[in-house]
Amino acid sequence: MGLMDQVELPQPVKYVFNWGRKYSLWCFNFGLACCAIEFIAASTSRHDFIRHGVIPFAHGPRQADLLVVSGTLTDKMAPSVKRLYEEMPEPKYVISFGSCANCGGPYWDSYSVTKGVDQIIPVDVYVPGCPPRPEALLDGIIALQDRIQGESLKDRIAGRRLDPITLGADAPLAIEGATGGASGGPT
Amino acid sequence: MTEVLARRDRALTPEETEKLLRDRLGDGITGSTVEFATFTLHVAPGSWHAAAALCRDEQLLAYDMFDNLLGVDAREDGFDVVAVLYSTSTGNRICLRTRCDGGRDNPVCDSITDIYRGADWMERETWDMFGIEFVGHPGLEPRILTVENFEGWPLRKDFHLTSRVAKPWPGVAEPAELDEDGQVIERVPKIGDAPGPYDLDKAMAAQAKAINAPEVDELEEGADEPESSGSADDGSDGDGSAEAEPEFDQETFDRLIAEGKSERIARSKAKAALIKKKRAAAAAGDAAAGADAGDDDPAAAAAAKADERRKAQAEARAKKAAERAADDDEDAANDAGDSAAQEGDA
Repeated sequence: MGLMDQVELPQPVKYVFNWGRKYSLWCFNFGLACCAIEFIAASTSRHDFIRHGVIPFAHGPRQADLLVVSGTLTDKMAPSVKRLYEEMPEPKYVISFGSCANCGGPYWDSYSVTKGVDQIIPVDVYVPGCPPRPEALLDGIIALQDRIQGESLKDRIAGRRLDPITLGADAPLAIEGATGGASGGPT
Repeated sequence: MTEVLARRDRALTPEETEKLLRDRLGDGITGSTVEFATFTLHVAPGSWHAAAALCRDEQLLAYDMFDNLLGVDAREDGFDVVAVLYSTSTGNRICLRTRCDGGRDNPVCDSITDIYRGADWMERETWDMFGIEFVGHPGLEPRILTVENFEGWPLRKDFHLTSRVAKPWPGVAEPAELDEDGQVIERVPKIGDAPGPYDLDKAMAAQAKAINAPEVDELEEGADEPESSGSADDGSDGDGSAEAEPEFDQETFDRLIAEGKSERIARSKAKAALIKKKRAAAAAGDAAAGADAGDDDPAAAAAAKADERRKAQAEARAKKAAERAADDDEDAANDAGDSAAQEGDA
């Protein structure tokens, strides 16, 4: 990325740059279960996240900025998710959509379900719910866009991430590594 | 496959099918059941392959479609394998079931992949979930459903969920009511003791009927009932008087008309108002009359039953509380019992 990861952009440039980035999120949907239906509902005319600048169904991970993991992630599927995430170019963002993706959800005791997508890839926004309504995804997207607007691209490209946002949680959880704990699954 | 003789109108019955297969396999067939409209044929493990082959190739049976194959944990007896076959020409469906050789430790079953190609992945899944080895299968490994290095057989009853070991099941195993101390109320239900869904339905239906009954006559009669339990003349007289009475509350009707409502709406609302009024009057009467009316009315009976139940529960709770308190102070225990009993009465 050349200079981008070494030099902090001047504030006005950064503002314009981030403003452009946050309204052009090419979205790669990892639809794994019923949450994917809510994701699709959010993309269609009624909820229409395209008006927020989210462009669904990127042609592949290499063209995507945003990965939405919606649904139950199994151990068998986990390597594929990790691999596709790694194929995405920086700066890239991850929304964990639904209880299963957050922490395993109702399958918390299953022999085959990964206990949250954050076990394998870093997550930016957790959207709780089982499944969350499309509005919740819109909330998550807006939270992510707020973050992108204030972000330092230098830090992002250098791999320094801020703490994830958990929708609906009043304050970030203090427990380390338990960031998905506020989601809807039994705790 | 050669020419198929089986036809939908000549499909063999389960008995005929069993007889035919017994003729061919002898002791290979160990029994049969017809449950939930499914014909299940129990096969000895040695005849498993032969039975499947016969089912497909026998012209009268012609089970040409492989539907399903699964394992069943039979606890200490080992494992069962069930195959479901379907015949597109007769429309029959058959379950073949066998008890695997090798018990729990090393369950082994013949593969039927050479008969039905579709059994391949089903047998791999059964291997994954139960660890039943299918002899003659082209390749059970790598695991098809779980991750490749998975250890254990997750659908066996003795498989431990590691998450559950670290954290117990958060809910109660059975839905239970808690008393005010957070203790589970233990109850041994008896038939007729509590209104089950069906009784509840009946009681609710009776209630709904009572509430929705718009017939003024019936309410009238109900009010009359205690004194005159129904000579025909009296009844007709009563009806006559009811007919003379207006069907709706004139006051409400006039008010609504004055407010500019249509006559139809005003009439219906006024009718409702009248019924409400009557009901209030009847309820007042009932309260005075006490239990007399309750005997005939199923809703009231159910309510009384529920009351009794609540009372019994309160007593039991009081007893428990008394037991708990007995160590400390007997007087206090008595007090608690009294107060709980009062609560039950109220």
